[in-house]
Amino acid sequence: MSKNNLILVVDDDTDLVEMMAMKLESKKFRVAKAYDGVEAMARIKEERPALIILDVMMPRKDGYTLCNELKTSEEYKGIVVVLLTAVTDAISSTNYTHMGGKTTLADDYVPKPVDMDKLVEIVQDSL
Amino acid sequence: MSTGAGAKVKGRILVVDDESRIREACRMVLEEMGFDVVLAADGEQGLALIRDRHFDIILVDLMMPVMSGFDVLAAVREHHPDTVVIVITGYATVEHSIEAMKKGAFDFIPKPFTPDQLRSIVTKSIRYTRALQDIADSKSRLRVMVNRLMDGVMTTDGERRIVLANPAFLHMIGWSGDTVVGRLVEEVVADDQLRSMIDEALAMPPDTFTEIVHELSVAAWDSQPERILDVRCAPFRGRTGANLGTITVLHDITASKKMERMKSDFVSMVSHEIRGPMNSLLMQIQVILDGLAGEVTAKQREILERASGKIHNLTNMVSELLDLARIEAGLIANAKESLDIRRLLEEQVAFHRPAAAAAGITLEIEPLPDLPLIQANPQGMDEVFTNLITNAIKYSPPDSRVSLAAGVDAGFLAVTVRDTGYGIPEEDLEEIFASFYRVKDANTRTIHGTGLGLAIVKSIVNAHRGSIRVESKLGQGSAFTVSLPVSGA
Repeated sequence: MSKNNLILVVDDDTDLVEMMAMKLESKKFRVAKAYDGVEAMARIKEERPALIILDVMMPRKDGYTLCNELKTSEEYKGIVVVLLTAVTDAISSTNYTHMGGKTTLADDYVPKPVDMDKLVEIVQDSL
Repeated sequence: MSTGAGAKVKGRILVVDDESRIREACRMVLEEMGFDVVLAADGEQGLALIRDRHFDIILVDLMMPVMSGFDVLAAVREHHPDTVVIVITGYATVEHSIEAMKKGAFDFIPKPFTPDQLRSIVTKSIRYTRALQDIADSKSRLRVMVNRLMDGVMTTDGERRIVLANPAFLHMIGWSGDTVVGRLVEEVVADDQLRSMIDEALAMPPDTFTEIVHELSVAAWDSQPERILDVRCAPFRGRTGANLGTITVLHDITASKKMERMKSDFVSMVSHEIRGPMNSLLMQIQVILDGLAGEVTAKQREILERASGKIHNLTNMVSELLDLARIEAGLIANAKESLDIRRLLEEQVAFHRPAAAAAGITLEIEPLPDLPLIQANPQGMDEVFTNLITNAIKYSPPDSRVSLAAGVDAGFLAVTVRDTGYGIPEEDLEEIFASFYRVKDANTRTIHGTGLGLAIVKSIVNAHRGSIRVESKLGQGSAFTVSLPVSGA
């Protein structure tokens, strides 16, 4: 595998990041980790991942905002973004999901709870 | 008012006539009818009497020396519009009678007249004046009522001129100019939606009746925060069904909107805080089941699959519960009593010490001076200090210290909960008392909480007319100080 197979996993739940990383590493992907949107941006600059698995509700900078920044940037718009969403209709009016219902520029999304086989499938198809 | 024997007086009548024979005859007939009768021999005397008290009816002779009946009539019309004037016309000339009627007399009675004629004309007048008074009374009653309403009320006529607007209405639309009665709606109401509602109501065909309802957001003005109003506008109709004007009612629903918003924030927070960890659990189990953490035996697999199923059920249940969830009651109990804060703090420390010790943290009270009693709600105070102490423990690394101190300053009892923990970033200090706000950084992202603790603390302290402040340095710790008014201070 000569092409970039680095995946950045971003979620404020450290356990969740760990589990996704284990799963992806078992499928021979390289994994970088970040725990909020600001940290994620720093990792992206340093490590240039091919794909980002990005949680929506996070402190400091949420996933929608980061996704939007990446997809409107010449430099980073080529990075595949997969959003992790636990957003349901019942909470769509709250500040956690203030962009809920809006079209995002993400390439794909995976609902929580994450079906990890599905996640691997999406990652493999996207790269 | 009564004339002996408790008989109810029908009303008060002034008779102004220069002929004493007529005056006395009138008195006889009218007193017999139950009226309180006062006599005056000329216009000046009559007007002097009118200045002192109210008469329901004035019978006035047109042709008198000193001052004519016309002058009396004019003075009464000007200063006592509620009083009915009947003119007595000596010559029974049509011209005089018509002129008197034009000048505002209610009726005329030609001399000579019979007691029956007098009785009949007075009865008619008294009915009329009573009806007028009833209308005036109910108008004033209505005006007082409308002016006292918390809801804003405005009525317009069919030409979109304002007939009435109560103070609440003017306040809600942010009007601070002078009287609005008689002005066009668009001179007073700036909001386009509100104006078009009124147009729509006026244009409504006679056989339909629909109330036009909208929610209106009014931008902040002066010291008023932004408000949300429920607006209802409807036409009102005359007997023929034609639109005579509109009535608009504004009801302030800002508070209930805010409650809804809080409920929904709460639901969302619970959803995030409960479902998040459960999602993690499911993934952890899945990783084990995938063999990524080593070989799994068939028995282990079976147990883990069952556990996974149960957690799935739980997440579903949480979703359903949250759909139903509502914050029903206020968080603060209001009953206050005299409270010994020293004892309360000692109990708090004893209660939290095991948890602190388990986290490797020393929890203690500094030596306390003599403390006065405060008027406070015991459950509320318990909640305040439990929250502050728990936070101090949670946001401190092992081997640190949490201490409580208290003292009296300027009529306030001040209690400080101080820790030597992670501290709060400066940019977060302003926000930490807001609902659902949580400080998350490298040190604290693994700490669990609802983000409601300090918001609850602040609302309880506020309800006690106290205050809370925080001082913090990143990496050195935080100090929360609650100040409560001392009893009798």
